[in-house]
Amino acid sequence: MLLGALAFAGCGQSDDRATVRTTVERFLAAYEGDQGEPACAALSEDTRTELESQEKRPCPDAVAEVELEGGAVTRVHVTLTNAKVDLASGESVFLSEQSDGWRISALGCKPQGTPATNPFDCELEA
Amino acid sequence: MRGFVRDHGLGLFFAVIFIASLVGQALVGQADFNHLQLRHHDDPISLGRYVLSSDYGSDVLENWQSEYLQFTLFILTTVWLLQRGSPESKELDKAGRESDEDQKLGEHAQADSPRWARLGGWRTAVYSNSLLIVMTAIWLASWGVQSVTGHVAYNAEQFDHQEAAVSWGRYLVTSDFWNRTLQNWQSEFLAVGSMAVLSIYLRQRGSPESKPVGAPHGATGVEG
Repeated sequence: MLLGALAFAGCGQSDDRATVRTTVERFLAAYEGDQGEPACAALSEDTRTELESQEKRPCPDAVAEVELEGGAVTRVHVTLTNAKVDLASGESVFLSEQSDGWRISALGCKPQGTPATNPFDCELEA
Repeated sequence: MRGFVRDHGLGLFFAVIFIASLVGQALVGQADFNHLQLRHHDDPISLGRYVLSSDYGSDVLENWQSEYLQFTLFILTTVWLLQRGSPESKELDKAGRESDEDQKLGEHAQADSPRWARLGGWRTAVYSNSLLIVMTAIWLASWGVQSVTGHVAYNAEQFDHQEAAVSWGRYLVTSDFWNRTLQNWQSEFLAVGSMAVLSIYLRQRGSPESKPVGAPHGATGVEG
């Protein structure tokens, strides 16, 4: 039963943690380098759609308008098909697993109130 | 083979329907999970991934733990608590752990009594409580696994709504954990209580869970 608990708890998700970390780091590198296409490739389809709806421009042209503090990845937390990455700036990034890999669903997120009971305030979310 | 099936039919029947319902739960659980995934604009997952997920794990284990709690409490309470007229109860003058003679221990043990029942000392003490010990252990283990899997599933939901994860200790005092726990407990306690009381007045011919059809309502601790 202990082995079952470990399996169910996702103790074999180290590959996912590495992939999630890489996805966020690649996005931040592209964002800071004004590389719109690779930055948008890291976003989920719903997140890109939301950005384009807000900015009234294609994602590669609009992504630079998202105000992010960025920073180094300090913590990666993966649960089944959702993940949260904490950055050194205090911001967090939320991801969800899609058919083509992990994609960012919310960016520039900061806690408001009690984080466990109040949703983060995000600059961009799907 | 036929003799084996005849002699072990009850265990085999429940083993088969347990496995069938576990498989069925996996199939419909995956469908339900993926329905929610699509509703959240997320992608569906495979059956293999689902049965290793915390969602499936917590759904299975929250039911297991309540079943074993039910048996743990039933075994324990029927040592001392009585129910007049119920075949689920001991006879009214038998409350307590009973004599060695009643329990076939010590000089009253038989040649074919289980070995640890004949040996005496700590072995007999352990064996005398082995059913309760094992049921309690399984209950606590499955409740523990429910808490671990439920914690992971809860945090997945938190992330899906841009909320922070909670620690395992914090999860143990959430409404999610206790809702899952108590919704199962109430049904188990209702079932046992119903069985203890309904069997006073109702009968099922041929079942050891029932009194003989013609037994009076006041007859306690008799089986059909």
